[in-house]
Amino acid sequence: MRQYASPFRLRGGVVVSISRIINTFEETVIILLLAGMTLLTFSQVIARYVFNSGWVDALELTKLMFAWMILFGMAYGVKIGAHLGVDAFIRLFPRPVFRMLALIGPIAGISYAVILLFGSEVYLSKMYKYDIRTEDLDIPRWIAYSILPIGLSMFLYRCLEAGYAIITGKKELMIAGHEAVELVAENKDVLKD
Amino acid sequence: METLVLFAMLMGLLAFGAPISISLGLSSILFIAFFSNDSMASIALKLFEAAEHYTLLAIPFFVLSSGFMSTGGVAKRIIRFAIAVVGPLPGGLAMAGVFACMLFAALSGSSPATVVAIGTVVIAGMVQVGYPKPFAAGIIANAGTLGILIPPSIVMVVYAAATDVSVGRMFLAGVIPGLIAGLMLMTGIFIVAKIKGYPRQPWQGFGEFFRALGDSSFGLFLIVIILVGIYAGIFTPTEAAAVAAVYAFLIALFVYRDMGPLKNVPIRKEGESVVVAIVRNIVQFFIYLLPAMLHSDTKKVMLDASKTTIMLMFIIANALLFAHVLTTERIPQEITDWMLNYGFNWWTFLIAVNLLLLLGGQFMEPSGLLLIVAPVVFPIAIELGIDPIHLGIIMVVNMEIGMITPPIGLNLFVTSGITGMSLVEVVKAAMPWVCILLAFLVIVTYVPSISTYLPTLLMGPEIIIH
Repeated sequence: MRQYASPFRLRGGVVVSISRIINTFEETVIILLLAGMTLLTFSQVIARYVFNSGWVDALELTKLMFAWMILFGMAYGVKIGAHLGVDAFIRLFPRPVFRMLALIGPIAGISYAVILLFGSEVYLSKMYKYDIRTEDLDIPRWIAYSILPIGLSMFLYRCLEAGYAIITGKKELMIAGHEAVELVAENKDVLKD
Repeated sequence: METLVLFAMLMGLLAFGAPISISLGLSSILFIAFFSNDSMASIALKLFEAAEHYTLLAIPFFVLSSGFMSTGGVAKRIIRFAIAVVGPLPGGLAMAGVFACMLFAALSGSSPATVVAIGTVVIAGMVQVGYPKPFAAGIIANAGTLGILIPPSIVMVVYAAATDVSVGRMFLAGVIPGLIAGLMLMTGIFIVAKIKGYPRQPWQGFGEFFRALGDSSFGLFLIVIILVGIYAGIFTPTEAAAVAAVYAFLIALFVYRDMGPLKNVPIRKEGESVVVAIVRNIVQFFIYLLPAMLHSDTKKVMLDASKTTIMLMFIIANALLFAHVLTTERIPQEITDWMLNYGFNWWTFLIAVNLLLLLGGQFMEPSGLLLIVAPVVFPIAIELGIDPIHLGIIMVVNMEIGMITPPIGLNLFVTSGITGMSLVEVVKAAMPWVCILLAFLVIVTYVPSISTYLPTLLMGPEIIIH
């Protein structure tokens, strides 16, 4: 796969690549957050009916994990091209024009990330200054919400990367035309005569 | 005027290939920057809001349980049961396809997954016994859309979150319309099969019926957990979804064993006594529980579910931002006043809603569209005395039909992809059945009690709080 370029050698001749390590890291974080949310919510139901107890902070923690999952994952979504969009219209244009127009996606993403990065910085520095804490878990709010600038920076980086890939012709578009692209690719023509 | 700028930005970004999420988010941000006094800090915070919405928290769990249940093995069990039930009727295999899609919809909630899982088996089977391939493909493409109407359904969760109606009510409201849509498609098949002389399947006896029922019941029990759990007040819809996800995991890895460490290990080995089998399975469950959670198959399902959740929730987060802009600009009120001035009554209004959604469904992902349209349409509907649950079902059925209408219909792409037929061929094949679903839409739109009967019966009359 092209995304695993730039291999380097570790001792013992094992070929790994930085992007593969990053990829595994991103996937692991996302999966652990989803698993954590599910098990936490499930365990609350069990705790209530079996042990007649519960952990009051569970809901806030679950919501926080959900937010982290979305904001951490949105950059990963750009990388794997999972974000949905409409490709029917710009495909009508002749090839050179199409390639130019394909850059609108990454440019929009970059502007989005830059504006919101600015906004989140303002918000977090206020939270830091007044030392505001979250309601139940009682951790500093700026730490809980720090995923905003982290996620947006990663998102910005992935949009820049997507834009570069489009310019160099390695990528056609940053979007997926519909949500089942992968599913269809896996089952392509299984029923063809 | 300013509203036009907002929508022009949105349409422009969408048309030129920006992701739906970014198109919604960026147009809202730019609009706020130029026309409003909101600070950018409060807007960045809006991204957090989607995750803090308790109802929306059900989405990742439903997506996950759907992932564990959308396997080929589950599909085969359901198809076997469907054939045992309706197979002997004229056009039996085609009817079984529709019935299987309905049952599978209750487990998976994803239309494309339904088309792939059921379609790959049923279409091949139908062609084998002599049905024309376009007939088979057309039926499955349509029946697959029932995924979002038969509960649990993510689109319904999103509607409930957008309008503050109860998720439990929405789920119950989907049951009767889902059954009616399935029956209408089956009736259509019955008539065509009689005319064209399509084959019946032999009746396999009650033994096969009960064996097939028993085998598929572990999966189908999922929907019982969800509906009974919510209705009886045992848990909230969000908790029900988490319980469903854990249940689906256990069934997929320890009972059906289509994946995971116990794959190909039979529940009862040849010549093994029942007692030994029970003891062995209990011991194996505890030995393999942790390996099952860490197995690569589990990881793959989790990763796929995460991708879907992230993509969907990022659209939802930005659609909430867009909806926020619409409400702060009082756009829903303006449209309400305008419509009431022009003498719209409830049924002309519903026609307008149908057209708007059928059109919008061509460009937008269903949950995103719903979040934009619901805040605009909902106050008018209440003003005109339309039941919120009824409105929700109408919207869901519209989204459903949007999935099989050209040019951009998700199920058309999927069907074309798996069958190797061209998009035009699939559109032609699906058309007669789309007409049945359009007739169904008219019925659902103008007979409110189809949607509201069951929730009102079980949960009492709807109270509208403003």
